Order: sequence, then C-alpha cells, then structure tokens
Amino acid sequence: MSLLKIINLHKRFGNLYVLRGVNMEVEKGEVVVIIGPSGGGKSTLLKCINMLEPPTEGKIILDDIDLTAKGVDLNKIRQRIGIVFQQFNLFSHLTALENITLPLRIVKKVPKEEAEKIAIKYLKKVGLEEEFASYYPHQLSGGQQQRVAIARALAMNPELMLFDEVTSALDPERVKEVLNVMEELAREGMTMIVVTHEMGFAKEVGDRVIFMDGGVIVEEGKPEEIFTAPKHPRTRQFLSMIL
Amino acid sequence: MVGIGQFDFNLFIKILPDLARGALVTLKFSSLSILFGLIIGTIFGVFRIIKNPILPKIAAAYVELIRGTPLLVQIMIVYYGLPAAGINLPPEVAGVLALSINSGAYIAEIIRAGIQSVPKGQMDAARSLGMTYFQAMRYVILPQAFRNIFPALGNEFIALIKDSSLLSVIAIAELTRTGMQIYAVTFNAWTPLLGVAMFYLMMTLPLSKLVERFQRRIGGHESP
Ligand SMILES: Nc1ncnc2c1ncn2[C@@H]1O[C@H](COP(=O)(O)OP(=O)(O)OP(=O)(O)O)[C@@H](O)[C@H]1O
Ligand SMILES: [Mg+2]
Repeated sequence: MSLLKIINLHKRFGNLYVLRGVNMEVEKGEVVVIIGPSGGGKSTLLKCINMLEPPTEGKIILDDIDLTAKGVDLNKIRQRIGIVFQQFNLFSHLTALENITLPLRIVKKVPKEEAEKIAIKYLKKVGLEEEFASYYPHQLSGGQQQRVAIARALAMNPELMLFDEVTSALDPERVKEVLNVMEELAREGMTMIVVTHEMGFAKEVGDRVIFMDGGVIVEEGKPEEIFTAPKHPRTRQFLSMIL
Repeated sequence: MVGIGQFDFNLFIKILPDLARGALVTLKFSSLSILFGLIIGTIFGVFRIIKNPILPKIAAAYVELIRGTPLLVQIMIVYYGLPAAGINLPPEVAGVLALSINSGAYIAEIIRAGIQSVPKGQMDAARSLGMTYFQAMRYVILPQAFRNIFPALGNEFIALIKDSSLLSVIAIAELTRTGMQIYAVTFNAWTPLLGVAMFYLMMTLPLSKLVERFQRRIGGHESP
C-alpha cells in the first residue's frame, strides 16, 4: 500500500495557475526525485503535501487520511512529514540544539533533558559534533546549517521526508556533505520526495524520477529510463540543457 | 508669566529632592505605560497581519485614531470625558491608561514592522514541524521580531518619558508639574526649568546610549 497518494491536485495563486492536476503515489521506503525547470510548481507541490499551502482542488492522502478533509488535525499530521527547505530556515534566535529541542518540547511535549538527548543524537547522525550544539545558525556554514535543519526534521520522527532543493544555496564544496546525509537516510529506508538539480544523486539514490513542467507531471520512470531514454520532447530538452 | 528670573544656585540645590521625586513619578508612569503599551501593541500588531476579515481593520482603525489625534486631547478625553460616560477614574489610572493606549498604537506599528521583518520561511519551518500558528508566533516569530525592533522600542520609551510631561494637565505630580509648582511658589522659572530639563536628560541619555549599542549589535549579525 502506498504511504502517500496525491489525487488530481490543483493549486492557484489568484490568477496564477501553478499546479494543474497532479497525480502521484509514493510507496513506503521509496525515494522519488522530482526534477524540472524553475517555476514548474515543484516547491508548491511539496508545500501542498504537508498543507503549508492549501490545495485549490484535489486530495492528499497520507496513510488513509485525507489531509484536505475538514476537521483534520494538521498540526498532528505535519509531525509525520518532515520538510527541509532551500534556505535552511533555521530559527535564527536559537542555537543548533534549541532549534531541534523547541519543536520536540512544545509540539511533542518531550521533557527538556530527553529532548536534548534526542537533539544530540540527531546532530551526530548528520555528522555534527556535540560542540556545534551551542552554535547559532549565523556561526555555522551553509552545509552545517542545512544538516541541522535535516536533524531538526528527523528528530520529530517523521514517516515521510520532503527535500526542496536543499543543496541549491550551498557552496559547491558543501553540497556533498548534505547529499551524503540524504543518501544514508535513503539507505535506512526513509520514504523521501526530493526536488533537486543534482542529477548524480537522482541516478544513484532515486527509485523513481518525475519530470514536472507547467504544473503537471510530464514524464516519470526509473532513473535509467528517464536519463538515458526520455520519451517526452520536453524532458529531453530539459535534460540536454542541464546535463 | 512675569520675568523668567535669574538662575539661583541655592534654590537649585534646595529643589533637587523635589525634582528627583518628580522624576521618579515620571519614570513610574512611563514604565507602567510602556509595559501596558507593549501588551496592547503586541496584540494589535499581531491583529494587523493576521488572516482574518475584521481584526486587521479594527487594529488599523485604532492605530489611525491614536496617531491622528494629539496625546493631550487623548489624556483629557480619558480623564474628563470618560466621567461623562459614567466612568470615573482617579488621575493616576487615567494617566497610565491614556499613555498606554497612546504608546500601544505606536508600538503596534513597530511590532507589525518587526513581524514582517522576519523571513516568511521561519513561519513555514515552524508550522511544518507541527507548531500551531500561536506557538509559531510565540516561540519563533515574535522573539526574532523583538530582537529586530528593540532599538525602535527603546526610542518609543524615550518619547514616552518626554510625552508623560503632558500628564501635568491632570494634576499628576510628575517632573514637569513639580517644576511648575516650584515656579508658582518661588516666582523663579529659570532654576526649576533647568533642573527639570536636567532630570529628563538623566533619564533619556542612558536609554539612547543603550539603544545605540543595541543597534550596533544587531547590525553585526542579521538573520539569513
Ligand atoms: N505564495 C505564492 N503566492 C503567489 N505565487 C506563488 C507563491 N508561491 C509560488 N508562487 C508562484 O508559483 C509558481 C511556481 O512556483 P514554485 O516555487 O512552486 O516553482 P518551482 O518549480 O519550485 O521553481 P524553482 O525551481 O524556481 O524553485 C511561480 O510562478 C511562483 O512565482
Ligand atoms: Mg522551488
């Protein structure tokens, strides 16, 4: 059974018609990579999945729960879906440790000491030594900030992780350290939807690649199919531009 | 007024304790008012940006009403006007109320700007972790907003200390009124006026230094 099902998803911002009927299913443990040109609606799709942006039409179904239905406790649901953003979005007034403990404490009501233990555990998991725990975001490099952001999302123990171009704002030499963390996570069986321009990652880690353009899924398939034998002319054009 | 008089050093020394007491009253009224003003201002500042059909309009009307009328008139309406509506307030309460409502409007605007200075991604991140809108405001947005607007709030406090001199019209024995009373008794205006100005400076100068220090600190590290 699939963990996530997106049925006929439409999203408009006023007159701007961004998502024009997206259908997609994600199996437990699957890593789905979404590629596509700028403005194609990739970020909007991810924000619709955890209802940060309410869909104009369509259904988002997580484990049999329709998130678009009235009366759904979205705050509860969002704990099950982690998201990491291009701009890190660490809370700039809090240390790395506090960034992770704050949601644990106020959302999950985890006691302070336990929350700190969990935070240290996840900081280690993303390759950050304990000494970084007391650093403020502005004292960390982009790659370190992004890894704290990943740790913060993981600490909530989500079933599904969304990554929105998480390496795009990083210096080239910092990209690898973040991709490694994601690769490891995929190996451990985390269900992931990854929007990225890192084609190497898509090929090696992705179970399926989706090409999105103009608010629809133009083509999808196994990475080797999409990268070596794209069927749709728009996919071919996009790949020839970035490869 | 008759002649402003000569500066009288002996008188100056003699009235220092009275002026100091007046300055304490000024400080008490402005501190209480900035405190209540902060509460009012935070509530209305959040109202201004909240997604709701009426609350932002109410908040905007409050701000316009207060900013468009003189504080002196507001004080007199609260003290002389409210009794006509059956509400009798002692001058101290009326004074704090008027000043709080007044500074609340200015602070609401400062807070609104502060909230809007926090990048939108902060709210997205907070909500995506399962925080309610209220929790996100309380633990993520407002702390960052307050850090950004601390200098503006400091300046508001300085303005309030000076504006509280208008409470003299409802017979509150704050610093300015104390000075005027000394003049009424001694017929020497120059001496108490200098003393009054000196005490205002003693309150406002350290504050503006503090604001300046903070401004430099924030300039050091901006949020991403
Ligand atoms: N909150 C919003 N209000 C109005 N328009 C928006 C909003 N968010 C996104 N858009 C618009 O929707 C369109 C799709 O944006 P989106 O960010 O989803 O694209 P994307 O595929 O992620 O592009 P990129 O690769 O540049 O990140 C763009 O035209 C964008 O300007
Ligand atoms: Mg995007």
